[in-house]
Amino acid sequence: MWYRHLFKIAKQTIFLTFFLSSVWVAAACALDGNEILRQVDENMQPQSYEMYRKLINIEPDGSQKEFVFYTVKKGPDKMVALFLSPASEKGRATLRRGDNMWLYIPNVGKPIRITSLQSVVGGIFNNSDILRLDYNLEYKAEKVTDQGDSYLLDLKAKSPSVAYAGLKMKIDKTTLLPTSIDCYAISGMLIKTLHYSKIKDFGAGLVRPSMLETSSPLYKEYKSVMLFAKVNKRELADEVFTLNYMSRVDELR
Amino acid sequence: MRYLPSTICPGSMNFADRGLTAWHLAARGQLLPSRLIYGSVCLLVSLLLLIPIIVHGEDEFSFELDEIEKKPLQWGGYAELKWEHMDINQGSAFSSLNLSDPSLSTRDRFSGSLQIDGRYDQGIASLNWTLKAAAQQDDLGWADMTDVYEAYVSIRPVPLLTGGLGKKAYKWGKGYAWDPVGFINRRKDPNDPEEALEGYITGEIDLIKSFAGSLQTAALTTVILPVWDEVNEDFGEINNVNLAVKLYLLYYDTDIDLVYYSGNSRSTRYGLDFSRNLATNFEIHGEFAYVPNQERVRLLADYSVLVEEVSATSWLLGLRYLSENDLTSIIEYYHNDAGYSKEEMDHFFQLISEGENQFLAARDDSLLSKAQDLSIKGYGRPQSGRNYLYTKFSQKEPYDILYLSPGLTAIVNLDDSSFSVSPEVVYTGITNWEMRLRFSYLGGGKSSEYGEKLNRNKLEVRLRYFF
Repeated sequence: MWYRHLFKIAKQTIFLTFFLSSVWVAAACALDGNEILRQVDENMQPQSYEMYRKLINIEPDGSQKEFVFYTVKKGPDKMVALFLSPASEKGRATLRRGDNMWLYIPNVGKPIRITSLQSVVGGIFNNSDILRLDYNLEYKAEKVTDQGDSYLLDLKAKSPSVAYAGLKMKIDKTTLLPTSIDCYAISGMLIKTLHYSKIKDFGAGLVRPSMLETSSPLYKEYKSVMLFAKVNKRELADEVFTLNYMSRVDELR
Repeated sequence: MRYLPSTICPGSMNFADRGLTAWHLAARGQLLPSRLIYGSVCLLVSLLLLIPIIVHGEDEFSFELDEIEKKPLQWGGYAELKWEHMDINQGSAFSSLNLSDPSLSTRDRFSGSLQIDGRYDQGIASLNWTLKAAAQQDDLGWADMTDVYEAYVSIRPVPLLTGGLGKKAYKWGKGYAWDPVGFINRRKDPNDPEEALEGYITGEIDLIKSFAGSLQTAALTTVILPVWDEVNEDFGEINNVNLAVKLYLLYYDTDIDLVYYSGNSRSTRYGLDFSRNLATNFEIHGEFAYVPNQERVRLLADYSVLVEEVSATSWLLGLRYLSENDLTSIIEYYHNDAGYSKEEMDHFFQLISEGENQFLAARDDSLLSKAQDLSIKGYGRPQSGRNYLYTKFSQKEPYDILYLSPGLTAIVNLDDSSFSVSPEVVYTGITNWEMRLRFSYLGGGKSSEYGEKLNRNKLEVRLRYFF
């Protein structure tokens, strides 16, 4: 009968419309999440920059161990960090080009390949924390939750070479800056939590947190703090991000 | 420790408890002037004691700009103290060769060393140096040394070009324990491969170029190494100027080096090495060197010495693996055609044995002198055999003890199954201090490399202060 045929077409049209709408909504949400993440990266640092950081490891007895390093980054995936203090680490440099990482120790005199999960300085920071690339380069947004004055982004690593399989990033809606990030292993275990605070004007329109506190359920009574200073936009030659240049990074300062 | 007002002046807490201050009570005439003065002093003292806490709370973490200010002159280094206790491998070939007193069963050695590194920057030029001084006292006597390990000028007009002149140490190759392609390297000690080494006087030009695409970087290092009277004399035959070239490529995320050496101080040699991450926690590396005319000193069965030229290849294959529980494993297999076979080492040990008998019977040391000469020319070098396995395992911060790293290093001579095994613990928890405790045990049968070494075992305590 003709009306049965019409009913079938109508049913298929409704189903198709519903399906396409769902796909569109899902795609729109994902796009929003990734766009928010891109904005966060843009607000946190210029594409190419230099900066100084101080890493403070605080132990259960209150004693502290401090590391100061100089970092330069170019484009999305080239970065080098040079340790300035303490004396025992001075001159060590770590280079990252995409997923490739190398460590240069002055006494050893040659760069050696290292893995992103290895710790350069001990404590609860690893290489990836020190040589972190833009979030939107390493992670994609899977879910965005509106929490009133903040967004909660569920992020998933784009490749298994990234140090943390997943992140839950809380972002302030007004500033589009992260306030806290939970870092998860592939098993779903919480590895560490990062808290950004003390928003500061670094000049040239860069207003971002100047302090990052890290705690880890794996090292319950330990805490790490990273302070940021002199974050400046800077253009550098590609040759700076090569193995032959690792022993000379200090010349850039 | 935090001092509260009540701890300093118990009375002041009572006012506060009632929501009153000494000033309120004085205003009401309920407090005597003397008590007011006493209370004020207490309050002042309390505030003074609290100020550091308040300030500390405000600036608990500070980052001062003078911490990152760059100075043209930078220097640092370390001072080291070391104590070693060794059990002598009495009756072994190398104890007969090196010790005059055969009854000596143990040795204790105290040593101290100082390494000073530095650089001075002036525009596009920099002067770099590494100075080393060391002294030791043991049962055999006193020894000391001072040396300029490195002192060179580096000029970098643009990032892609650097020129250098002076004494510089080269560390070519990807191997951790050995470097077959390190044609102008000093030989490193596989038990301490991360130590600084003395350089050679050279002239160098380094060109770097980055690209977009699968070839990301190419770098060409050209080194001129002269050997003259009192200049690099220990490198090889004198009155020659030698050339060493290394072409580095980062190609498809793989480090590749092509190495070439030519000159009359040593024979021509060709090399290739590579390194690549197969996974985020797994790296492989390798080296291959070919020396068409390698000079080799060989002891024959009749104790005559033959100097021959052989076509020799040496190669190394290694991996570095980081497990989920932070155990780093480095494993390397090393083959060296120019090394000595088990049979050749047997001849050498027999020569020492006969030399000792000859000396005891007739006070004739000719065979022992020959053995000593051969020892210097190759037989006595560390890892003088043909096939070796190197393993190093280090555990980062076990049981969540930060800055503590226990490790185990083993080197096995695969031809005679002798070995050295060294467990160690390194602690770096105190800023700028490093403490290392290491025990080494050497094992192997008669006429084996490690079975004939001078020491049977060694206990070492090392303390380093970096400045």
